[in-house]
Amino acid sequence: MQIRPLIERFVRPATVAYAHCDLPCGVYDPAQARIEAESVKAVQQRYQNAEQMRGANQTLEDYRSRALAIKEERANMVKEHLWVLWTDYFTPAHLEKYPQLHDMFWKATKEAGAAKKSQDPEQGQRLLDAIAEIDKVFWETKQPA
Amino acid sequence: MRKPRWRPLLVALTRVTAAFASFRWLRDVRLSVVAVAGESMTPAFLPGDFILIARRDIPRNERAYGLVVCLRAADDRLLLKRIVGVPGDSLRIGTTVQVAGRALLEPHAHGETPAAQYRGVSALGLGEYLVLGDNRAASTDSRNFGAVRAEQIEGIAVLRYWPPERLGLIRRAPRRFAASGEYG
Repeated sequence: MQIRPLIERFVRPATVAYAHCDLPCGVYDPAQARIEAESVKAVQQRYQNAEQMRGANQTLEDYRSRALAIKEERANMVKEHLWVLWTDYFTPAHLEKYPQLHDMFWKATKEAGAAKKSQDPEQGQRLLDAIAEIDKVFWETKQPA
Repeated sequence: MRKPRWRPLLVALTRVTAAFASFRWLRDVRLSVVAVAGESMTPAFLPGDFILIARRDIPRNERAYGLVVCLRAADDRLLLKRIVGVPGDSLRIGTTVQVAGRALLEPHAHGETPAAQYRGVSALGLGEYLVLGDNRAASTDSRNFGAVRAEQIEGIAVLRYWPPERLGLIRRAPRRFAASGEYG
């Protein structure tokens, strides 16, 4: 005979305290990727205007190095947020309706990768455009059928 | 006939045993017990943990930060969450929790607040607290229902007594801030 379940039943409280989450776990929104991509583009702009943007006690080199480090990180977050959408939110049924879905994510994450290397705000805009396309499809799938 | 001397002792012992078995003593010493359901307080609390709650007043200052409390929600459910904002705080919740613009360092918390749960500045008045689940990616808490009042808080979690392998006192998380200057 197992003694543990017996003890457990004896010491079990009558009251339950909920460490709860009312949301379906998994709140998805392409806005997360977009916000990080906005950062990427803003950093690219700041990199270009580093001379004016840098602090009085910062060298140009320091300012730009910091910009690059932040951009690298933010671009990676774009990728992660897109991957979560791609692999967790979208289903085969979505793919049937939107056959271009894989291609859209491939292009957008490619742009996120390119953003790590590029200091051109126009490239950042291409990343934002690619995310906007995904965003459009995302909200279409949220419409009641 | 002489009464046996042990008789009063036996009566007293019986009474004590009866009182103990009725669990009424718990209320007298202002304690109660709850079972945890849900995963918003992981990893500190897992579903199925049994917790001892001390029914005492919550400090009105910073010393309340980090306490795990049981509170009565609007729908009358008992919730288990951690105090993150105390009276007088101005908090903003995004990827981090900021108190008056300084990001809290919260090693007990994990997961990212979903963008839909971001909140602008909440200024807490007297007797108001902000409570969050440690699992920031999956918790319904003050990010949804706003500040809670001291009267809603029924007690402080003090001890986990089940499962026996994880028996132990529940400690208050210290209030620390991230080094300033991380990002603009």
